Amino acid sequence: MARLRIQFENGDPEKVIEFDPGKAPFHHDGKPGSILDVMLGHGIHLEHACGGNCACTTCHVIVKQGFNKLGETSEQEEDLLDRAPGLTPTSRLGCQAVIDDPNAEIVVVVPRYTINQVSEAAEE
Amino acid sequence: MSLDAPTPAAKRSTLNARVEKIFDHASDTRSLFLSLTSGKHLRFVAGQFISITIPLVDETRSRPYSIASDPENRGPFEICFNRVEGGRGVQWLFERHVGDTLDFSGPFGTFTIDQAPETELGFIAEGTAIAPIRPMLKRALASSSTQKIHLIYAAPDREHILYAADLDALERSAPNFSFETLIAPADKIYDRLFETAQARWVDADTDRTRHFYICGVGKGVIRLRDVLRGAGYERRSVHYEQW
Repeated sequence: MARLRIQFENGDPEKVIEFDPGKAPFHHDGKPGSILDVMLGHGIHLEHACGGNCACTTCHVIVKQGFNKLGETSEQEEDLLDRAPGLTPTSRLGCQAVIDDPNAEIVVVVPRYTINQVSEAAEE
Repeated sequence: MSLDAPTPAAKRSTLNARVEKIFDHASDTRSLFLSLTSGKHLRFVAGQFISITIPLVDETRSRPYSIASDPENRGPFEICFNRVEGGRGVQWLFERHVGDTLDFSGPFGTFTIDQAPETELGFIAEGTAIAPIRPMLKRALASSSTQKIHLIYAAPDREHILYAADLDALERSAPNFSFETLIAPADKIYDRLFETAQARWVDADTDRTRHFYICGVGKGVIRLRDVLRGAGYERRSVHYEQW
């Protein structure tokens, strides 16, 4: 079984998901088997304003462990990550980062900030 | 509004909007004009989208819809969409009536123009993907009255060339703006866009200073991106949004 450990920079309690990548998809948003797909399919929310279509950066996660176990980053994902606040060398978009290794041990952090998150500032 | 201004990601709050007007562009293509029930104005950047909460029988989904109106317009803002097979979110939107309300979050997205680059600009869109391009185009035209701006807009038939009168009026009023429409069968649209973009912006000259804004559905968008970048345009000069 693969294991995905999710830490939240805002202080929410850590979550751990054990899953069989062969059973993806677990939900209907994001690439099948992606971090987003796994989280949503196990009842853990990760923002994905564009519906998991690789058109925004609201599912930005920072991979703390297992970066090389994830599927390759596409040019489209790289283009979007360029615009993500708090970009790190191990940043990925949750909707695109696929876990297909059944023995993967992945640790990700959900950053405190995402770009253009809705707030009252959207009204004037 | 700064695109880089960070705000907390922990909890998504939603805004509430009322349907003020419905306009059918075609039998399968509709615009909703929305106003915030708070009475305030939605602040966004040309090209951004909102994420609408779709309450289905068995679950709640959020689905993105580009804003087709101008940020400077103080009236209702507009979203534009078309029916897609199996599209439960869009089906729900088609069932909304004037006076109904809906929840959304946003605006989101970095496929935007606030201040246009001071170079020739090329826009490419197909079908309802003209929605974000329309305000971006107007924003670019507002930024400069001299730089050349060209739009290539494709659809399967004339009925699905949206905002044609609006684009005609823009072309008449702005000497630096031109646009062309491509009518092609749905499965050939991107072939035609590819051929036209290649002829106009790759084969015609060696100028590689232009910036491009491409919006559409499917892998054809990536193909357009690749032909332009492959021809020598800077990676960050080729902006695109693929749905």
